[in-house]
Amino acid sequence: MSLDATLDSLSNTTLALAISQGALSFPMLECIHVVAISVVVGTIAIVDLRLLGYRSHRRGVCQLIRDVLPYTWAAFAVAALAGSLLFISSASRYAHNAQFQLKLVLIAAAAINMAFFHLTIYRRVAQWDDLLPPPLQARIAGATSLCLWIAVIFLGRWVGFTLQ
Amino acid sequence: MADIHGAIEWLYGTAVSSAIRDTDWIVPTVQAIHICAITVIVGSALVTELRIAGLVAPDESLNVVAQRYLPWMWRALAVLLATGLVMVVGEPERVLGNRVFWIKMALVALGALLSVFLRKPLLRSAQQAQRQPTKALAWVLMILWVAVIFSGRWIAYTS
Repeated sequence: MSLDATLDSLSNTTLALAISQGALSFPMLECIHVVAISVVVGTIAIVDLRLLGYRSHRRGVCQLIRDVLPYTWAAFAVAALAGSLLFISSASRYAHNAQFQLKLVLIAAAAINMAFFHLTIYRRVAQWDDLLPPPLQARIAGATSLCLWIAVIFLGRWVGFTLQ
Repeated sequence: MADIHGAIEWLYGTAVSSAIRDTDWIVPTVQAIHICAITVIVGSALVTELRIAGLVAPDESLNVVAQRYLPWMWRALAVLLATGLVMVVGEPERVLGNRVFWIKMALVALGALLSVFLRKPLLRSAQQAQRQPTKALAWVLMILWVAVIFSGRWIAYTS
């Protein structure tokens, strides 16, 4: 089966039809998606800005990350779930949208950036936990993350204006 | 409502209004900036409110938390009002003629007042205040901001 056929059959499932035909409210899913994104990016931005050297409510980076990360992940799960439901309502239209494709690429890039940060400089966080400004590699990770998530928000909004 | 319709028509006829409508990148860009500012308010409010509720950093001074995030909330609010104004000028009928928009504005005003009321005793010094703010109000505020986001998205679906 070709990719387009797979996407079309996805949009013809009972769940997808319930969304596209209005039984499960599309606007309501959008609202949930936006609330979840605000929590995801809002909490990530607090950590990113701390990595750039802006003080947060914690002295150390480690404690700050432990404070907010559970909320980031929980909200990310909600955003991804609501986003997937919005996607299946017209899967092939989204899949062919350039802004949507780029948005997914940038989310993957943000994940790689985060994984790289956690596997490298964050392993030695004890050495720079309280340090202001933080080491260059941490600042680069923070700036990269911040730029990527802002771009994700822009692209997400742009999908709504470019969907064919 | 007669005078508001006159104002909407006048606004729609201005050169700046048609410039916003006719330049196709302005509205999506301004809406994206609006959402970025929303994330700043939500992030700042969430951490402060959860601290008041006792769920985040209970060992950290309430005053330090409130003082650290309040300036970010004011800055984001300024960006939200500015970008919101661009959307009002560009499509006055879609926004000002929409009941959900006015509900949203009432909720924003209520949220701002309640946030100030809740934080005021915490802003004077780094020392923890004698009287603790009411935890229930922190939960009310979190629900209020969710309602603001819902009503904002809902403007696109009502008239």
